[in-house]
Amino acid sequence: MKSIFIAFDQAYYDQILSVLRGNNVRGYTSWQEVQGKGSRTGEPHLGTHAWPTLNSAMITVVEDDRVENILNDLKALDLTSEMMGLRAFVWNVEDMI
Amino acid sequence: MSIYEGSVKKPVMTTLVFVAVVIIGLFSLNNVPIDLLPDIETNTIMVLTTYEGASAADVETNVTRPLENSLNTVANLKKLRSSSRENRSLITLEFDFGEDIDVLTDDVRQKLDMVKSFMPDGATDPIIFKFSTDMIPVMLISATADQSLPALYKILEENVANPLARIPGVGTVSINGAPEREIQVFVDPARLEAYNLTIEAIGNVIRMENMNLPAGTMDIGNESYALRVQGEFVSPMEMKRLVVGSYAGRNVYLSDVAEVRDDLEERTQEVFTNSVQGATIVVQKQSGSNTVQIANAVVKMMPELQKNLPSDVKLETIMDTSDNIKQTISGLADTVLYAFIFVAIVVLAFLGRWRATFIIIITIPISLIAAFIYLGITGGSLNIISLSSLSVAIGMVVDDAIVVIENITRHIERGSRPKSAAVHATNEVAISVIASTLTLLAVFFPLTMVGGQAGVMFEQLGWMVTIIMIVSTVSALTLTPMLASQMLKLDAKHGTLYLKVFTPIERALDKLDSAYGKAVDWAVRHRKATVWGVLGFFVLSLIPAGFIGTEFIPAQDNSVIAGTAELPVGTRSEVTRETAQQLYKLWKEKYPELDMINYNIGQASSSNVWGSMQNNGSNIISFNLRLIDLQSRDRSMFAIADSIRLDLQRMPEIRKSNVLAGGGMGMMGGQSTLDVEIFGYDFTETDRIAAEMKEKMSKVPGLVNVTISRGDYLPEYRVQFDREKLAMNGLNMSTAATFLRNRINGMTASLYREDGEEYTIRVAYAPEFRQSVEALENILIYNNQGQSVRLSEVGRVIEEFSPPSIDRQNRQRIVRVQSTVSGTTIDKAVVEINKAIDEIEIPTNIYTQIGGTYIDQQDSFADLGLLLLLITLLVFIVMASQFESLTYPFIIMFSVPFAVSGVILAFAVTGVTLNMMSFVGIIMLVGIVVKNGIVLVDYINLNRGRGMSIVQSVVKGGQARLRPVLMTTLTTILGMAPLALSNSEGSELWKSMAITVIGGLTVSTIFTLVVVPTVYAIVAGRKTKNFRKKWRRKMLNA
Repeated sequence: MKSIFIAFDQAYYDQILSVLRGNNVRGYTSWQEVQGKGSRTGEPHLGTHAWPTLNSAMITVVEDDRVENILNDLKALDLTSEMMGLRAFVWNVEDMI
Repeated sequence: MSIYEGSVKKPVMTTLVFVAVVIIGLFSLNNVPIDLLPDIETNTIMVLTTYEGASAADVETNVTRPLENSLNTVANLKKLRSSSRENRSLITLEFDFGEDIDVLTDDVRQKLDMVKSFMPDGATDPIIFKFSTDMIPVMLISATADQSLPALYKILEENVANPLARIPGVGTVSINGAPEREIQVFVDPARLEAYNLTIEAIGNVIRMENMNLPAGTMDIGNESYALRVQGEFVSPMEMKRLVVGSYAGRNVYLSDVAEVRDDLEERTQEVFTNSVQGATIVVQKQSGSNTVQIANAVVKMMPELQKNLPSDVKLETIMDTSDNIKQTISGLADTVLYAFIFVAIVVLAFLGRWRATFIIIITIPISLIAAFIYLGITGGSLNIISLSSLSVAIGMVVDDAIVVIENITRHIERGSRPKSAAVHATNEVAISVIASTLTLLAVFFPLTMVGGQAGVMFEQLGWMVTIIMIVSTVSALTLTPMLASQMLKLDAKHGTLYLKVFTPIERALDKLDSAYGKAVDWAVRHRKATVWGVLGFFVLSLIPAGFIGTEFIPAQDNSVIAGTAELPVGTRSEVTRETAQQLYKLWKEKYPELDMINYNIGQASSSNVWGSMQNNGSNIISFNLRLIDLQSRDRSMFAIADSIRLDLQRMPEIRKSNVLAGGGMGMMGGQSTLDVEIFGYDFTETDRIAAEMKEKMSKVPGLVNVTISRGDYLPEYRVQFDREKLAMNGLNMSTAATFLRNRINGMTASLYREDGEEYTIRVAYAPEFRQSVEALENILIYNNQGQSVRLSEVGRVIEEFSPPSIDRQNRQRIVRVQSTVSGTTIDKAVVEINKAIDEIEIPTNIYTQIGGTYIDQQDSFADLGLLLLLITLLVFIVMASQFESLTYPFIIMFSVPFAVSGVILAFAVTGVTLNMMSFVGIIMLVGIVVKNGIVLVDYINLNRGRGMSIVQSVVKGGQARLRPVLMTTLTTILGMAPLALSNSEGSELWKSMAITVIGGLTVSTIFTLVVVPTVYAIVAGRKTKNFRKKWRRKMLNA
């Protein structure tokens, strides 16, 4: 099992859910409003007067073989509008109940 | 879930909520009446008391003074004025605006009840009128007649006045100039004396004989019968056979001593319309009912009424106040439509997208229609104020939607899907949209709370705009994102037409952007030069201020001229009539613009309330002239009125004349007046001062119609009874006076009834026996023992002059030297008048003050000035809370002085004066001009937050916000442009407001675009420097 952490512009929310559903993923945990800033490119999402946009974050734990597909789909989504910003990171899941 | 998210997710609900608002709004609009001005609650109560036969001085001492003393204690009284003239006393109580007039009326009634018992016997009970614009006749209808003239009153009363009075909402319908029937018993004094009879005895006999009396019921057999004595006269001629006494054992009949005549009242007013004699029917409305509805109903009824009249009686409308209202309102409705079209064009030109434009424009009808719900609920009307508030608001309601749409578009262009873009983009700008609406509310909401006349006028403006702005903000935060989420698309494809039209516009705007960027860059790098330059401009722009006149309310051309021309007092009505005919011929030829000439001469009867409140007398011609429509004539009402004034001055027989353009109908729209009030008891002194004042005022250019309020002295005979002689003959003053009165004025013996109507039976000396002083001296006065004595034995008749009316104000005698302002402005005239007052020698017990519209103007300007201060403060507070800073609002406030420059320049160019309407325009400007500054400073702050340097943020920020600033400014300016340019009836009223706003906003926007970035750079630069200095000091100390 692997966990995928996705940080993305709020406006992506519906599309991300579609990606998960398209990959037959049911479970996830999400945070509606989080602040963040890309390490290299893109506008910060800080919810301030200067940078009013905000991010959302989502974590989902999936079978190993699905990770690649999901990442590909997310990459494709990111390419539709790079200005908005979408990143995903994958961890190993050690244990679960 | 936020409100915008909810509305985007529930498009059906959002749409239907707004549809419901529109439907309710349209439904209310359907029921909202049309009127000229908001329903101005009256603040004046009048008390009219008649005391037939008494001279002005008698009325003053016996009626007016006791009433005044009692009425003076009514609460909230602002001014107590009275006019005592022959036969009647009219007291006017003026209260502060905004008091409940019904409570005050009750108060007045109570006070009157208290003094009623002190009134002289001959005086009628005081009648209370609530004077308001409602008292002004809605319509004047003339009825001309040939053969039917003698019976005209009756004909009109039955066939016209009564049916008209049945129309719902019609108050009183009175008939002017048609003499009423009266049964006259004219007695020959010589015969009376021969038979030992008196007028009183005859009167008593008539009263006793003319009587019906139920005598009870009686039972005969099984039936009950009513028993009645039917003694009333069946025909007036029956009276001839009345036995009034007996002499030498034979009956003396009434016909032996008197002549019985079934005739018309002796002294009446004659009315001519286009030189044909007839009558005027005056239709007044009930308080609170709608002029236009009533006038429509009356006009609709007229053909039907005409059918029932004899063929020689013709009805024609002289004045229909609803005409003016209808034209004014339709003119104003046009301006609202044009404003809408202009705003739509501006938005489309700047955005270049049909769908976005549609989404923005849809907020206009929604928020405007929503305001009708307010009118419907509060019972308001569609009037100049409420409709011009729509015009004022039209350019501002789109601002919020523009900001929202702009941000949503930006998000979509970045790649966001329309739905989420709509929600998140709206969320980002919601706070600043609300804040900018708050600055406007800070201006318009306080307008609802002003006191005085200005408050009454502008309450509706305040509420309407407040409601429109709130609805437009709500719509911008819900409907706009919803529609955007449904309609906006990424990369819409453009057709060739689109490219042809919008490419040049786009290119021009791009050029403007870069040019402006360069200008700001230069200004920021040459701060000192910029600051001195604009300061210089500001100072220079103040120079024309000295030449701008002030005014109360702009005069309005409503195609009516009214006035009076007075011949020397005592002129018989025949002579007056001839002069009037001459005037008619002259005017008919000279002024083709005259549509109808109506004039009346003579004394109004006491039963005619409207007539008796106006100046009347056998020597006075009062006229009403109606002009053809404004559009179809070249000369204005004011030019024609000026020319008519000259005509009247050229006629040697006319002593005094007064011409009022606008007909002096109420406080609105007529020409302003300026009076000098001279207070003092002594007639000769005050007369002298008034005469001197009049001469000096006539020389002041621009003051016309200079008249003295105190009329010419009436020649009068005064009978001075000797009390000792009276007492020796067993008489007293009141018996003797009553005898005199009954013989000359006549006594009302009884009422003659015919067909349900009552006519007075008046017993008096025959006219030929009351035309000389000897006749008076020969009057026999009887005492209780029946002994007679001639009037000459107990008193003497002397000839004197007395003023026809004694005017008082706040319980002091007053003479007003009145003038109409035409061709100059009030402030200039006041300076001249004050100079004149200083030149005249005035004793210490007499004092003068300036009154008329001037006082109203000062009151209103004081109210509005205070409001301006309050609003400036409120706007500052709103801005300071938005920016959480005191510096930025201060920087933004720099746009206000340039609005003042703009207003002054606009006044200087267009010749508009500073009046109540333009003052309100200035107040509105405070809220409108700061919006530009807010947009700029907000974006400059944003750029700095993103890490740009000060100069860079200022230049880039200015460049980025140029289009929104220009767009919102242009929508406001073009929304007002139709108001400023319209030429329809009534446009004088709103024109000045629109010109004020346009002038102020244009100049202020141009300077705001340069000054605000420059001052920002100066202030921010100094702040940074100070911070660095402090930091270094701190580090050194550490």
